[in-house]
Amino acid sequence: MWSYGFVQRALVGGALIAVTCSLLSFFVVVRRLAFVGMGISHAAFGGVALGLAAGVDPVLSAGGSCALVALGIGWLSRKGRVHEDTVIGILFVSAMALGVVLVRVANAYNLDLMSYLFGSILALSWSDVALIAAIGFLALLYEMLFFKELLFLSFDRETAIASGLPVLAVDYGFLVMLSLVIVVSIKLVGIILVSALLVIPAAAGMQLSRNYRGVMAVSALAGLASVLLGLYVSFHYDLASGAAIVLVLFALFLLSFLASPRRVYVRRRQAGG
Amino acid sequence: MRECRVKDFFAAGNGSPRLVIDVEDLWVRRDSHYVLEGITFSLREGTFLGVIGPNGAGKTTLVKAMLGLIKPSRGRITVLGMSPGELKHELHHIGYMPQQVLFDPYFPVSVYDVVMMGRTCCIGTFRLPRRGDREVVQESIAAVGLQGMEGKPIGELSGGQQKRAFLARAICLETSILLLDEPTAGLDMDSQENFMDLLMRLKEEKGLTVVFVSHDVNILARFADEMVCINRTMHLHGRPREVLGSERLKEAYRCEFDFLAGKGTGGGEA
Ligand SMILES: Nc1ncnc2c1ncn2[C@@H]1O[C@H](COP(=O)(O)OP(=O)(O)OP(=O)(O)O)[C@@H](O)[C@H]1O
Ligand SMILES: [Mg+2]
Repeated sequence: MWSYGFVQRALVGGALIAVTCSLLSFFVVVRRLAFVGMGISHAAFGGVALGLAAGVDPVLSAGGSCALVALGIGWLSRKGRVHEDTVIGILFVSAMALGVVLVRVANAYNLDLMSYLFGSILALSWSDVALIAAIGFLALLYEMLFFKELLFLSFDRETAIASGLPVLAVDYGFLVMLSLVIVVSIKLVGIILVSALLVIPAAAGMQLSRNYRGVMAVSALAGLASVLLGLYVSFHYDLASGAAIVLVLFALFLLSFLASPRRVYVRRRQAGG
Repeated sequence: MRECRVKDFFAAGNGSPRLVIDVEDLWVRRDSHYVLEGITFSLREGTFLGVIGPNGAGKTTLVKAMLGLIKPSRGRITVLGMSPGELKHELHHIGYMPQQVLFDPYFPVSVYDVVMMGRTCCIGTFRLPRRGDREVVQESIAAVGLQGMEGKPIGELSGGQQKRAFLARAICLETSILLLDEPTAGLDMDSQENFMDLLMRLKEEKGLTVVFVSHDVNILARFADEMVCINRTMHLHGRPREVLGSERLKEAYRCEFDFLAGKGTGGGEA
């Protein structure tokens, strides 16, 4: 299987996506942004449809729609009156509805659209891989440079603001990085499933470690393992690559949950009275 | 360049103690009504100010307004010679301990990591903690008596131990001002004593100006240099004995009892 060009591209691109997404997933989980990730990725559907209808590169238009929705989420929820999850509930269904209409207009109910929804192992070109590498590098650089600020803001927002942290730069920066990473991941993992890669790795890490260093190490490993194993399964059984990756990821999460020292502790406490 | 506003502030002047905090006719509105009306007081360098007042009196609001977290609708606040807008870039010179830290008990950070967070802005953007930072963090942890617990997840500490960790986080900066919102509430007797010892030592060593919100009049009677009592408006400002002995205190609390009757309050001014 390794001699096929598309498999090599999928493996390299997939490994890059896995590491980037799982390292970001730590903050997605501790900042409770799981639903934000889902909202942004689903908004990509509107963008992809627009691209297909207008004959533009769907990745470009999806990037635009994701960034717009991400900033909209940040801005509307900052203005108050509406909770963040409500804002997401409004924006992403609207973007998806727009996508459905546009797809009908462009008459684009075809295989192409399905591969955007669920990911395809055949989808990546070398220039896609290069784009993934560039965006991944940018996102991880951002996370590294602002790591202590992100950590402080996630742990205790009020005191972090009171100590003079650049809140806006950190908040919006993270949302923008998140949407860029989502956009470059959708060809391989799919719009519907990409948010799993932004949640499950850190969730598995949190089961096994009580310190963020350990959590991030475990999530990177889990993400990488799931993408490589998922692509292998996808190739052999001719499944959508995104679905295969997410199922492997879910299995890894279950394993980490069963192995979690925290869970053992809970069980012993219950047994002890 | 960032350091110089505060350094200038302390370098200027003619030897007499400077006004570190100056609040003039402060009005603060929350939602539809005023919770602070016409608060005026000033604080010289190195003063320990005790703030009392009944629940909902606006003590926390006052502290947050000093930090610039809440915008006043009227009046002027000057901290270290700066308006809240200018202070935004110098906030790492103020140690702040909120009344309540709302955090996720499963958040995967250790006590050490939490205290290091306090130094985030001292370390500066794009920088990693240096040796000096790690030493200060260790010292602060030892100062609040949490040595040996550095590596413990913060969620596995008891409530009082968590409070001590947050105090360590507030004092590990190169601060000149400490704003403490009910720091000793929920601590056991022994920890309260240790806490106050530590605070007074820091105050002497660094010439700290301390704003200490508390419902514990015993502690304030023993340690405060000055006290204010607020209940939406400013009711009293003076030495602890004057404030606690005043008839108008009962007015502020709208009740009848003798604040100085309890034992241990006769110690007078520290
Ligand atoms: N987030 C908020 N939004 C609207 N009103 C608020 C808010 N927080 C406090 N208030 C109101 O402001 C007033 C002052 O509250 P504050 O927290 O400053 O009191 P406090 O003196 O610190 O009381 P306590 O001793 O209970 O801590 C209260 O009447 C309260 O109802
Ligand atoms: Mg309060």
